Amino acid sequence: TILISSLGLGTTLTFIGSHWLLVWMGLEINTLAIIPLMIRQHHPRAVEATTKYFITQATASTLLLFASVTNAWTSGEWSLIEMLNPTSATLTTVALALKIGLAPLHFWLPEVLQGLDLTTGLILSTWQKLAPFAILLQLYPLLNPNLLLTLGILSTIIGGWGGLNQTQLRKILAYSSIANLGWMITILHYAPNLTLLNLILYIIMTLTTFLLFKIFNSTKINSIASSSTKSPLLSIIALLTLLSLGGLPPLSGFMPKWLILQELTKQSLFIPATIMALMTLLSLFFYLRLCYATTLTMNPNPTNMLSSWRTKPYHFTLILLTSATLSILL
Amino acid sequence: MMYFMFVMMIGLILGLMGVASNPSPYYAALGLVTAAGVGCGLLVGHGGSFMSLILFLIYLGGMLVVFAYTAALAAEPYPESWGDWSVLLYVGLYLVGLFVSGKYFMVKGWGLHWTGVEELSNLDMVRGDFLGVALLYSDGGWMLVLGGWVLLLTLFVVLELTRGLSWGTLRVV
Repeated sequence: TILISSLGLGTTLTFIGSHWLLVWMGLEINTLAIIPLMIRQHHPRAVEATTKYFITQATASTLLLFASVTNAWTSGEWSLIEMLNPTSATLTTVALALKIGLAPLHFWLPEVLQGLDLTTGLILSTWQKLAPFAILLQLYPLLNPNLLLTLGILSTIIGGWGGLNQTQLRKILAYSSIANLGWMITILHYAPNLTLLNLILYIIMTLTTFLLFKIFNSTKINSIASSSTKSPLLSIIALLTLLSLGGLPPLSGFMPKWLILQELTKQSLFIPATIMALMTLLSLFFYLRLCYATTLTMNPNPTNMLSSWRTKPYHFTLILLTSATLSILL
Repeated sequence: MMYFMFVMMIGLILGLMGVASNPSPYYAALGLVTAAGVGCGLLVGHGGSFMSLILFLIYLGGMLVVFAYTAALAAEPYPESWGDWSVLLYVGLYLVGLFVSGKYFMVKGWGLHWTGVEELSNLDMVRGDFLGVALLYSDGGWMLVLGGWVLLLTLFVVLELTRGLSWGTLRVV
């Protein structure tokens, strides 16, 4: 319980902080509090994932501290929104990109996510992204737009391409996270409210997906293929949620992508917009493959109809599912 | 005085190179001791006497001693010191990097080029370094509470990570 409350405390501190030290402390509290949650299962893969996570996040926090201290040294300003030293601003961007797992600093994310159980992976993919984005959203006019665009486009490319050969669901979700974060970071300099919209919708959709996989108790494509016999309603919901993650209209996952592309074309960034749209097709392919396996095809040797129903605690996901799929485009 | 600071700065770089060149933990701890020692001297030279005392006490006297004991638990029969070839390779690389960057940043013409560093505090009644700590206990009371909470959290994290004497995750070897 002290761990979960410290997770909440850390993110809250980063949200309310206006001094760099307080913001840094919030990020460190988040890292520290999630370490024992990750290692709860005690097998060597979880231990390795925890070690990798700790080292990468500690490096990112150190870089962030270094950037803020350099900024304070050269300009005397500890306030979060006054970052007058451009080197510090670039270093902050790189540090936060390492924190959330943007390409080319994404290499830890698939292996770390693979080593965790689905609930801890959910906390890592959704809650831990809130605090760094709070910093990025406050800093957006001071960051280098070329660097942000490069990080974003590279993330969509690697997120799409890297997820193609995966059969483990957690690694697929890791690459989908990389691609979605790429979309979010691209538009940060031009329209940060779209970044926020994309972040919120991504959190809702990923929450839904992780909870679905938890209910089906499956971590591979093989085991989710027999999900339509366990609960046909939930596998149809899985279909819609996965297509929403892929960004198909009329589901709500299309809305941020459309608005981001529109904003990019308004800024005359046609080539980045085209590249990102094309690379999202790659990630759509592996979402579609998941849909194939779960809903659209029957598994050989189907068990005879529905087995025992799940108990009540998982039903709160239904509220999120409705918002994930059936919200209309504005 | 300037020469003294210069020697201490060289000692700092050499000590940190000794740590980063990947020897066995005992030698790395020795490098850390020298680096922290001359770093404290540098701090004193800039006026932060309280800070340097705290660094000596807590860092060297607390954390490094605990690290030395844990390293002694994982003793190896042939530790790699700075005389072994794998470590010397790193040392050579760092020396090359040091000379290249030194030539670029610091040596102009025939002499060394000093950059100005501000002094931390003047000779007031309350100097800069321990004024901060005093503020932590008075106006920054909530920061103290936060610091205490995080320390408690770290305690629980470490206890959870090392739970179970020989069947736990991080085992006593």
